Amino acid sequence: MAIQYALLLLTALVFVVPLFWMATASLKGLQEIYTFPPVWIPTQPKWENYPNAWNAAPFARFYVNTLITTFFGVGLEIVNAALTAYALVFLRFPGKNLIFIVLLTALMIPVQVTILPNYLTIAALGWLNTYQGIILPGASVAFTAFLLRQHFLTLPTEILEAARLEGAGHLQLLWRIVLPLSRPVLVTGILISVVAKWNDFLWPLIVTNRLNMRVLPIGLSYLFDREGNNQWGIIMAATIFVVMPIVILFVWAQRHIISGLIAGATKG
Amino acid sequence: MDRRTFIIQSGGAVGSLILIGCGNNSGGSGDVQQPAATGQAAKAAEGKTRVVFWSSWSSSSGEALQKFADDFNASQNEIFVDNQYQGTYEETAQKLATALAARQVPDMASLSEVTWNKFFLNDSLQDLTGYFTETKLDPKDYVESLINEGTKDGKIWWVPFARSTPLFYYNRDMFKKAGLPDRGPKTWDELREWGKDLMGKGGAKKVFAFTNAKNYNAWHFQGNVWQWGGAYSDEDFNILIDEGKAVEAGEWLRKFVHEDKMGYMAEDQSVDFGNGLCAVTQQSTGSLGGIVETAKFEVGTAMLPEQEKFGCPTGGAGLGILASASDERKRAAFEFIRFLAKPENAASWAKTTGYMPVTQSARESKEMQDYFKENPNYKVAVEQLPKTQPQDTARLLIPNGDQTIGTGLERILVNNTPAQEAFKNVATQLEDDAKEVKESA
Repeated sequence: MAIQYALLLLTALVFVVPLFWMATASLKGLQEIYTFPPVWIPTQPKWENYPNAWNAAPFARFYVNTLITTFFGVGLEIVNAALTAYALVFLRFPGKNLIFIVLLTALMIPVQVTILPNYLTIAALGWLNTYQGIILPGASVAFTAFLLRQHFLTLPTEILEAARLEGAGHLQLLWRIVLPLSRPVLVTGILISVVAKWNDFLWPLIVTNRLNMRVLPIGLSYLFDREGNNQWGIIMAATIFVVMPIVILFVWAQRHIISGLIAGATKG
Repeated sequence: MDRRTFIIQSGGAVGSLILIGCGNNSGGSGDVQQPAATGQAAKAAEGKTRVVFWSSWSSSSGEALQKFADDFNASQNEIFVDNQYQGTYEETAQKLATALAARQVPDMASLSEVTWNKFFLNDSLQDLTGYFTETKLDPKDYVESLINEGTKDGKIWWVPFARSTPLFYYNRDMFKKAGLPDRGPKTWDELREWGKDLMGKGGAKKVFAFTNAKNYNAWHFQGNVWQWGGAYSDEDFNILIDEGKAVEAGEWLRKFVHEDKMGYMAEDQSVDFGNGLCAVTQQSTGSLGGIVETAKFEVGTAMLPEQEKFGCPTGGAGLGILASASDERKRAAFEFIRFLAKPENAASWAKTTGYMPVTQSARESKEMQDYFKENPNYKVAVEQLPKTQPQDTARLLIPNGDQTIGTGLERILVNNTPAQEAFKNVATQLEDDAKEVKESA
């Protein structure tokens, strides 16, 4: 038991200490951050780091932009993935396996490879500096479809058969039966997607040129000095308000993952 | 993600993008567009020549640059400079390569000492010599070593703007305690002699903090190689790092670290130096402000020590105009370059950012002279500037050259690998990677 707790504590420390450091550093001056041995609690909290960070770049605008791109990006991605996974599991059509293999292959292509062709397409459509330009290339993600498919395979077919006999159509089956039964996986998929979209840096940077179309992760880069002469306290303060919504979402959503897992277990 | 890991990871991607880009990019052709303007910028630019400027400065430097653009736009009513921040030097280069392929190209961009070469080699940059003559902007007003770096075959392609160099930093309090003169060592051997006192009476744990590849140790070591009379490579990509003097420099490093136990490899030498773990270090001139702010002692600066002779590379970024822009926009962009070169502007940029003043007139201006009096440490950096030289092709042009050399140095610093062996491996790798460039050059 003691060993288990020790290991648990160690794991917790590995995850918590960086967050703790980020939070305390956001209230420190540069000298206190750089000093050795480290100062864990700021002696004179510099609250002004927060307004300074917020005013260093138009963060309100970045927030709005990120909310829009994340919301629609995640929405499209999940709808897309659910439809794909449903078709791959519950429909019979020629070439199904081939399509699945192509999907798996897409998992293995690094993002960097797709940047240029995507950019050319978006530029040709005249969508540089637009929300749709930021969102659409991420609207279909192979991993999410794969994740849902693997879970759909484990669902008992009897329930679906029964519903089908009652006269439910495909979309009804998906919406009323399959997705509610997949809640933990769905929440997991949404979380992964939210984190990816919220944190995405390279693509929004490439596809936007103007300040008013930029998103939060690029906003953070506005605080960095080119020669490494960085005001870490201010950068950490900005990082706090950039990651805070994600942390809150996680805390709120983990309930659903756990209750969902338990619900599944008792039924089995 | 940390800026430097990002650079390393994206390095390969930039290279491949540029290769794709050069196939269909023959500068100056008709269907290349300016990136579209939206919102207020479009209104402000109405009836004027709009210059799209992709820049790489954020934070306080970014604000200073934006102010120049605003002042310039307010000073006349023909040209509107639309300054757009595009991330680090590497990210800007990556965007530019993508933009060239998509034919939505800015008119002017900030390019680092490494990235500008790539755009020069695939003919994306405009020869600026004619504009210099036309507008009577004297290229000789720029610091000679800096303007020469952007000059190829007698033509100017890349104009100095935000330049930095390595600088020697020492802990004056420790030097005093160790009974040493208040100056940097003349040679590396002198530093070695001082080492015993610094670690004894001075109280330093180590004498000198070197750094790792991620932190650009190959940039710092470039100076060492020259000081010993060697080179990384020559103009024609012949690799020289595994020969004679370069190996001697590496061996000196190895002995200093592993036999004398005076040097070591620091994750971030500024942090260690600021905390008094080492007595001296070498870091960019651009870090001066930060080091003085965080150090709990009197910071001194000096020119880099010599060995057989003096050697110091340059770093940072300059400005290039894209060949694909219309003639009118190129002229307009050059007007902005001219504006930035005015003594009062170049001086104020240097003061705000910590970069070197790039023109003689800026250096001699009263504003700068007063600043020197208040900041003698900064003055040392500026005095060293005329003696600097552009880096060897191996680090500038060979893909991943910086990291290849840096990793070799890490082997010497950490594993005690003999310099001959470590640099032999580096040379093999560099020669391999050079093939690609030789073919496209």
